[in-house]
Amino acid sequence: MAGYLARRLLWVVALLLAVSAITFAIFYTLPSADPAAMRAGRQPTPQLIAQVRENLGLDQPVYVQYWRYMRDLVLHFDFGFSYQSNAPVREQILDRLPATLSLTGGAVVLWLAIGLPVGVISAVRRRRWPDRLAMGLALVAISAPVYWLGLVALYLFADDIGRFPLLPGANSYEPISQDPAAWLGSLVLPWLVLAASFAAFYARLLRANLLEAMSEDYIRTARAKGLPERQVVLRHGMRAAITPIVTVVGLDVGILLGGAVLVETVFNVPGIGRLAYDAIRTADLPVIQGTVLFGAFFIVVANLVVDLAYAWIDPRVRTA
Amino acid sequence: MTSTILRRIPVGIGIALCAVAIAACGSDDGDDDSGGGFASGLPVEGAKKGGTLKVVSASDVDQIDPGQAYYQLTYLVTSATQTPLYAYKPEDPETPVPVLAESDPRVSPDGRTVTVKIRSGFRFSPPVDRAVTSKDVKYALTRGFFPSVANQYVQNYLGALEGTGPVVEGDTRELSGIQTPDDRTLVLRFTTDIGATAAQALVLPASAPVPEEYARRFDAKKQSDYGFNQVATGPYMIRNDAQGKAVGYQPGRRIELVRNPSWPGAESGDFRPAYVDRVDWTIGGNPTVIGRQVLNGRDMINGDTVPAPIVKQAATRSKEQITFTPLGNRFIPLNMSEPPFDDVNVRKAVAAAIDRTRLQLVRGGKLTGKVATHFLPPGSPGFEAAGGLEGSGHDFLAKPEGDMQLAAEYLRKAGFSNGRYSGPAISMVGTEDDPGSQVVLDQFRRLGFRVNYRSLSQEAMFGACAVPARKVDVCPNYGWLPDFNDGYAYLYGTFNGKAIAPQQNSNWSQLNDPRINAAMDRAARITDPEERAEAWGRIDDQITAAAAAVPTYWDDVPNVQSRNVRGVIARWNGAWDLSFTSLE
Repeated sequence: MAGYLARRLLWVVALLLAVSAITFAIFYTLPSADPAAMRAGRQPTPQLIAQVRENLGLDQPVYVQYWRYMRDLVLHFDFGFSYQSNAPVREQILDRLPATLSLTGGAVVLWLAIGLPVGVISAVRRRRWPDRLAMGLALVAISAPVYWLGLVALYLFADDIGRFPLLPGANSYEPISQDPAAWLGSLVLPWLVLAASFAAFYARLLRANLLEAMSEDYIRTARAKGLPERQVVLRHGMRAAITPIVTVVGLDVGILLGGAVLVETVFNVPGIGRLAYDAIRTADLPVIQGTVLFGAFFIVVANLVVDLAYAWIDPRVRTA
Repeated sequence: MTSTILRRIPVGIGIALCAVAIAACGSDDGDDDSGGGFASGLPVEGAKKGGTLKVVSASDVDQIDPGQAYYQLTYLVTSATQTPLYAYKPEDPETPVPVLAESDPRVSPDGRTVTVKIRSGFRFSPPVDRAVTSKDVKYALTRGFFPSVANQYVQNYLGALEGTGPVVEGDTRELSGIQTPDDRTLVLRFTTDIGATAAQALVLPASAPVPEEYARRFDAKKQSDYGFNQVATGPYMIRNDAQGKAVGYQPGRRIELVRNPSWPGAESGDFRPAYVDRVDWTIGGNPTVIGRQVLNGRDMINGDTVPAPIVKQAATRSKEQITFTPLGNRFIPLNMSEPPFDDVNVRKAVAAAIDRTRLQLVRGGKLTGKVATHFLPPGSPGFEAAGGLEGSGHDFLAKPEGDMQLAAEYLRKAGFSNGRYSGPAISMVGTEDDPGSQVVLDQFRRLGFRVNYRSLSQEAMFGACAVPARKVDVCPNYGWLPDFNDGYAYLYGTFNGKAIAPQQNSNWSQLNDPRINAAMDRAARITDPEERAEAWGRIDDQITAAAAAVPTYWDDVPNVQSRNVRGVIARWNGAWDLSFTSLE
């Protein structure tokens, strides 16, 4: 197990290096505004552009810039400074991380709490009205664009602009450290919107897996032994059906920790996704690089956790 | 202030953003001018003091450092937290008045020296908390040339100060062209006779004092972080801690302004009343949601561009919650550096053909601006001299809806015998969210042009159109906000041959007419306001006559407020003035 873990950790490092190199390469390959010229303003003298370029370290060859970036990152956990605001990128990301963690954490709990029971009920009541209703709603929830769903939720339920003012709307986010009640209230609508499509997807996935599992021989055996149906489904059927769900949850959590851009934007939750979006709009490489690396880190770690869980469950994986 | 490109309104680049936002508004009829009744945005006597004003904007400020600030949105903050030498009163965008300065600037007869006396009584906010002197203004202007600060406009207006070269190179921090014979006198010495124009630029936030002994350590870094540790001289300050760290600013999230305990108030001669106690500014979100929150809520004003649905909703249902302020212009630059637009007759044909009423319609209708007949917009010095609303009678701009017959005549004069263009294809770069770009494209095609058209983001469009080497022939979504209300600020950067730069170029037509350049040089030296306005008006007409670009639109910028807000617009900036706005 230790050897397996070591191999996987090496892969994590290699992947992150590759991601950082690719981001750098993309930024310098694709046409975008010259950060030094943008920073130097209107009709700048070549002298000023050169000075700004030198100050930002943009006068060096790309591989030198990349080396310096990685060196500062590894030795000092320093992501550099935003070209746009001059603010340290590390501080900006750490400042945004709690909001992203809050949004993702709550949404995961919600979509699992909704999606799994619905999936089970649909599978158990297959082709009856609860199944048809649940799967119909799931189809709608999966099809609805998140941005649109967010706006509809605001126009219906936000306490400032909603037709049925029930919950705090956009711009209401408060950090949990400042006001836990306001934090909770401000995130209910974003959680519901973010969880809607995921819950629907998980319900459909679990339903399909469970239906497949319930047709297996060991389920027939369990029933033949006289076990109650509830126990057959939850103890024997679910155990097999839930495994793919674990994999997908790991990946989804990793992706969302990298930023749920649309929901963060609609509800103005100041998370990493919005930071990344703003940085892309302004060609702010250090912030783009920082947020991409953070996102990649979360995805890779989530993958690692899933793989380790598999390896723990199934020893064959370790030697594969 | 600049253009769509240069001076950014909170969404993208410069007025470009304004353009985009208004374009995005794209009204369906465009004729919903309901005949006034809108909020005036003017200061009121006896407004109530106290309360917390809430600002909501989709975008962040560009740079929080007053020495770097350049966007329209950022000036909302700097005009409340800083005290420049001169400023415009909100209701009068034409006449700068002394604020930190004691009196008008004195420009020497040879135009090479500007002398400013400053008032006593102003102090820096904590933790510096000491009296402001002329040396602080000198340092503020000097640091604009530091590569670590790289102010975006000092090169243009104060670049002729003696001794800027070594400062830009980083060899010295002492700018020899600024002298401070005593604590209340500032003398600016220029290598050319640009003093009259440079004096106008002293309204900009770079002239707000900065204490060198405090700021030096921040400015010494590769990128100055003085903005995150700034001190204030205005009625408000960004909330800070005991060390001076501006904890009230979280980039992309929030700005908190509180009263500056060191501000001396009216007794110092400062005209800002500073009604509200506090300003809470939330950044981010969907512009339409923000607009609805402002209209439905309390204590709120918009920070950045108001989208079309909100303009329409407010203009029809709650007029007292919306104001419109004339500001800036839009035009279609035609690249004169190469064929076919090096031929004045081809340019005039294009100008004659463009349906400016249609452009007005797709960009929001009559509420959001007027069809332009030249470049200086209403309210700018020189507007009347350039022909006022009607223009000065150039035939190719006589019909706002376009004149295809006249266009054909001009094309025949240019050698296209059948009155249709049949030369090589031209290149055009528009923006993704601007329906006006599509309108212009259609109209070029009607004249027979084959057009290689690309639709890009604002930033990418700027990257293409502002670099002459890219050889783009037409950029249909261009607008301009002046840095200060003067013909120089409107026309020099956009139409002077000397302003053509290999990068970040703002003269997109690449007009380089020695006669016009010389006229601009002469006008830049004039100190008498009326004479100066007259001169720039004549220059505007010369540019219009040369058809270097097609003037399309003079913007009226919309702003919205909650019902209980008595919002006051700084007309020179087309945005709210936080120091004058109050709550009921």
